[in-house]
Amino acid sequence: MSAGLLFLILAFPLLGALGNLLLGELLLRRVRAAVAVAAVAASALTCLLLWPLAAGEGTRATLFTWLESGTFQVSVDILFDPLSASMTLMVTLVSTLIHLYAAGYMEDEVDTTRFFVLLNLFVFAMLCIVLADNLLLLFLGWEGVGFCSYALIGFWYAEEKNAAAGRKAFLVTRVGDVFFGIALLWLFALCGTLSISAINAQASLLGSGTLLALTLLLLGGACGKSAQLPLMTWLPDAMAGPTPVSALIHAATMVTAGVYLLCRLFPLVSLSPTGMMAIAAVGALSALYAASCALAQREIKRVLAFSTMSQVGFMMLAVGAGAVSAAMFHLFTHAFFKALLFMAAGCVIHLTGGENDITRMGGLRKQSPFVFWLFLAGALCLAGAPLTGGFFSKDEILLADFARATLFYRGIWLLGTCTALLTAIYTFRLVYMVFAGEPRSHFHGHALPGPMRWTLPPLALLALGGGLLNLPPLYGGKEHLHQFLGPLAGTRIHASHAVEWALAVLAVALFFLGWALVHWRHRRAAPEPVGALPAFLLSGWRADRLVERGILRPFQVLAGWCWQWGDGRLIDGTLEGAGRLCLSGGERLRRLATGRLSTYLTALAWGLVVMLGYFAWRIL
Amino acid sequence: MIVPMSHILAFSAALFVMGLACVLAQRNLIMILIGVEIMLNAVGLTLVGASALWQKVDGQIFVIFLMAMTSAEVSISLAMVVYLRRRKGTLEADAFDGMKG
Repeated sequence: MSAGLLFLILAFPLLGALGNLLLGELLLRRVRAAVAVAAVAASALTCLLLWPLAAGEGTRATLFTWLESGTFQVSVDILFDPLSASMTLMVTLVSTLIHLYAAGYMEDEVDTTRFFVLLNLFVFAMLCIVLADNLLLLFLGWEGVGFCSYALIGFWYAEEKNAAAGRKAFLVTRVGDVFFGIALLWLFALCGTLSISAINAQASLLGSGTLLALTLLLLGGACGKSAQLPLMTWLPDAMAGPTPVSALIHAATMVTAGVYLLCRLFPLVSLSPTGMMAIAAVGALSALYAASCALAQREIKRVLAFSTMSQVGFMMLAVGAGAVSAAMFHLFTHAFFKALLFMAAGCVIHLTGGENDITRMGGLRKQSPFVFWLFLAGALCLAGAPLTGGFFSKDEILLADFARATLFYRGIWLLGTCTALLTAIYTFRLVYMVFAGEPRSHFHGHALPGPMRWTLPPLALLALGGGLLNLPPLYGGKEHLHQFLGPLAGTRIHASHAVEWALAVLAVALFFLGWALVHWRHRRAAPEPVGALPAFLLSGWRADRLVERGILRPFQVLAGWCWQWGDGRLIDGTLEGAGRLCLSGGERLRRLATGRLSTYLTALAWGLVVMLGYFAWRIL
Repeated sequence: MIVPMSHILAFSAALFVMGLACVLAQRNLIMILIGVEIMLNAVGLTLVGASALWQKVDGQIFVIFLMAMTSAEVSISLAMVVYLRRRKGTLEADAFDGMKG
């Protein structure tokens, strides 16, 4: 099996995008969608066929030298090791299902060529991030997914709101990218290479202060892409895009790119204990923040967006605790169940004729049991119901935290546990409000197209059975993912069985407590709480207003000042003043030139007098 | 030298000032030109005097050049005077102010 074939994984989505870009308008709508789906499916198939290459150290393949200048050399090479291979398989599998779903979802839409081109291009860029063995290639993919996300959030750009959401996502993630770009250049200056494997190998030679700074810069980049505090404001607004986009980009793949970056550079990151604590703290605070916001949201997709932020926070928490395998495990189960939830939410929106507000839904269980059961499967995973995928992965993260046994990590664990309870509450609130009881308003829904239905069950199976990927020994599993990742899996968790059991029982208790609370409220038919706190949570802790007041307003004032004073008065004033001075000077000098001979002759005589006077003065 | 240098200088200075006075006082173009000629001749006289004083021929050569140049200048200026007279019907110097800024 040739390593060169690995490039086919990248090439198929790119070919699909190019094909649709050049010929899409000539093709039938169905063919267009089929090309897009086939491109990603072929990529998934290639990944499966080449799977043996990933074993052990993995395989490295070089396509060509991209840039060469003196000692600076960047080649397009990819690394197919356990970490990237498992991520690639997840990305391509989930993308295939979401592309299929999108084919159904976008059935009545105009301009599907643009949609499918961008979707395929997104998969290509994402695979670039995952497979790159070179930070510059990774950065290319990083910016590529940013661009595709921007273009797809603003897909319905005719509405000002959507275009603004796309712009916001682009600009906020760009802030993170600046940090990542600085880290990239600094790493090159320190190590003389951009190859990820070489940097990881040399990382132990760097000073501790440098490592801390690099870790924080990388964390900044990851925060932008993964919507963590304080660069999280773009994700809820990103839900303005079509639902398959939300499922693919803003839940399953792109937002986890930040976590993946930290996992990829884990040998470097793990050398700075303070940096690791910062990562864990950012993750835990983001998880808690987003979970609390999700409690009060009224739009179905915004609830899911905040829950994504919260779950990605859990992954960061795992990286911060040194448990890469737990982070990747949660990343996979989360990708499955969150894609499922988003796609089921898309079905709900379809069934209610475009309604987004959960306070006006209700009783959908009777209308469509199929969607109900699948949504419930995703929701159970999200809430951490015992024996679902989400339960095992979340449990492992909390265990990894608890096992660190320092005061800081115990505090982080406490935050994580609170978040787990909040997660159960907001998930069941969502389920009850959408599916239980009687419809709160009347809808003219549409029937669900076939592809939208039949892509859900496979994802539900993956989500519910996701725990088998990395079943801990406590439940008789073998931790396949941990074994497979080998040396990439991060630090090993040392915990006694008693602690493991205690944490598992606690997790189950929290799940049922959350469920019971919501059920109790539902039985009493309690109205939605109103007041200052729910409004505060609904607006996402007023983060948008804070950014507006703290950053945008001062920036606008400063920019206005620079424009009016710096540009308008200083620069323009100087230039125009110089011009005016020359004009008035010329006007004065003009009067001297009378055109009369006598004036000139008199001036000549006076000149003579001056000269003679000067000489006379010199002599005397 | 028969004539002392100071006399030559005093004479040529007087000649120069008279020429200058003529140039400044007269309004007629031809009279102004005559004034200029007188000033040039005053300069020439100084050159000849200096040549005799230092016993060098350079000053006299210079004067010959000066004469040649003066004749050329006079021919051009007289041609212009004729032309200007035809154009405006006058030789009054202040009538020609076409170069006014």
